[in-house]
Amino acid sequence: MAGVKLRVGLISFAHVHAAGVARTLRALDQVDFIGVHDEDAARGRAAAKEHGARWHESLDGLLAASDAVVIESTNADHRRYTEAAAARGVHVLTDKPIATTVADGKAMIDTCARAGVELGIAFPVRSSPAVIALREAIAGGMLGTIRAVRAANPGQYPGRWFGDKKAAGGGAVMDHTVHAADAIRWLLADEVMRVHAELGSFVYGLDVEDCGILTLDLASGAFASIDCSWSRPQTFPTWGGVTLHVVGDKATVDIDVFRQALTHYDDTAGRAKLVGWGDDLNTRMIGDFVDAILARRRVPIDGEAGLRALEVAIAAYRSAEMRRPVDIAAVRA
Amino acid sequence: MRIGVIGTGFAGAMHARSAQGLDDVRVTAIAAATPEEAAPIAEEVRARIESEPLALCSAKDVDLVVVATPTHLHADYAIAAAKAGKHVFCEKPLARTREQAEAIVRACEDARVALAVGHVVRYFPEYQIAKRMIGDGTLGKPAIATLVRGNFPVGSARAWYLDPEKSGGVVLDLMLHDLDTARWWFGEPARVYARRLHTGASGLDYAIATLRFADRPIVHIEGSWAEHAGFRTGFELRGDRGMLVHDSRAASPFLVQAPGGAGSPAMMATPTLAESPYRRQLRDIFARVARGDRPLVDGREGLRSLALGLAVIESADSGKVIEWRA
Repeated sequence: MAGVKLRVGLISFAHVHAAGVARTLRALDQVDFIGVHDEDAARGRAAAKEHGARWHESLDGLLAASDAVVIESTNADHRRYTEAAAARGVHVLTDKPIATTVADGKAMIDTCARAGVELGIAFPVRSSPAVIALREAIAGGMLGTIRAVRAANPGQYPGRWFGDKKAAGGGAVMDHTVHAADAIRWLLADEVMRVHAELGSFVYGLDVEDCGILTLDLASGAFASIDCSWSRPQTFPTWGGVTLHVVGDKATVDIDVFRQALTHYDDTAGRAKLVGWGDDLNTRMIGDFVDAILARRRVPIDGEAGLRALEVAIAAYRSAEMRRPVDIAAVRA
Repeated sequence: MRIGVIGTGFAGAMHARSAQGLDDVRVTAIAAATPEEAAPIAEEVRARIESEPLALCSAKDVDLVVVATPTHLHADYAIAAAKAGKHVFCEKPLARTREQAEAIVRACEDARVALAVGHVVRYFPEYQIAKRMIGDGTLGKPAIATLVRGNFPVGSARAWYLDPEKSGGVVLDLMLHDLDTARWWFGEPARVYARRLHTGASGLDYAIATLRFADRPIVHIEGSWAEHAGFRTGFELRGDRGMLVHDSRAASPFLVQAPGGAGSPAMMATPTLAESPYRRQLRDIFARVARGDRPLVDGREGLRSLALGLAVIESADSGKVIEWRA
């Protein structure tokens, strides 16, 4: 298979991650970055030019030229782009969350299964060497039985459409819960059974929440919390971060996924900035997706994982509304 | 002012030592479960050993009794001291149960003696700066705050911590500091939700609590006896105009390394302030009591913070959201 490349297209530059994905697609040896389509033609044309990719005015044109696509649209558009790709027999890697509703997420999984295409979800935390090492340590019994996890994925407010309930499906909970929820499920090989949440819109004057603390009960009996807040000020030295504090019977472990960073005191910007020097998680994550498709294997992070994580976010909204813990089964139906 | 100290564990020894050199203050008597336990500290601070703790509560050479025993014994000694007309400085939590705490408050009010409760975090400068920046609007309106506090499983050092009936576990012993801090910073919460594990003999005890204030903020607190590397504290306090961050692990002006690997971790971080917060606390309490003023953290405050700790335990045990009325 040496020399065989996967033809990958990029759909939409609506998401803040799109530019990084474009750079990754261009850099990966096993990828032929086939081109770009965007529902905003001016934005897409400019981005295609910037990243040295071919602009496709029509979605069909891009899909016809692609083996797989990466979707970086608004959350609400994930479903229609996924269904269009599946109809053309094109594999999909979509940014998270899988969709804005459980019904949409389920429909995407079913459509891709019927079409015989892979549906992958972008959870780059699983590509962190530190997180992988922790998973191996847990599986090897080094922490004993896991009893509790305190996870945080706080960030700056991303702007754009991320505060638009229709396009994003919510605010900070929709944006940031799913990373931590997926990491907890994957690390512990466990399932979320019940969710409690306290939410607030305190910082940015948005219609959606910018602060949230979730408490989860897991099938194993362990519990966890997730801080999903857009709590990082604009003067914070980086976009945010991902931390995990894992308490086992035998050991307690702290993971700070983006700890490998230099501090740059920047007089031009008038503030300090972190300059990461760890592995680029997007490169590892997209590389693993592409390698699976080329080898005709199942993708490592599938639609099911995306849906399970989305259910936690949806349950959080319901819990905050009802002011009591909510069983995950109640949002699954 | 003549001070008698009951209990010579971490807190009792700390208070007896911290009182040294304070103006117009003298530690006159030390009592512990046995005279042998009291002896080293008594010798160090040149106080007499009182072989019977209850006798110390009514001793003629004592004006104020420091109660630093295991938590479930606080009420016995605090009430005896109040009945003998002595002022009382009681370690946190004020008592193991709400009923005990209410009895202490009543006894001190009836006897017209001062009652101070050892919520020492209110004397830590990093927490005082946060309080000031909340109050003067530097951070804007508080949005979300996360507070963490951890120690190694302390039951491995002192067995009474292992018994929830005596200590109340990590929630009443350790998390209570941050529950009190949340009340001090933001007032009374509207509701509480918590989860906890308690593993008994291994001493592992870990809890998380979410406090929702009527308007804002949301406060998330971790209390951990699963920090095997030793004591640490931290907070992140986000308002709509900025954020303030404290991490004791990144705040130590010096780090010590020794050959042979890490032994058992120190109970607390090495003091790195000219006057420790424990000594500041004593100086303030003694000065207020001498002037006839209310202590900064009086019995009613101590009672409310204890009640919040009990609400955390109730939520963790029942799985329910607890509506909070102070």
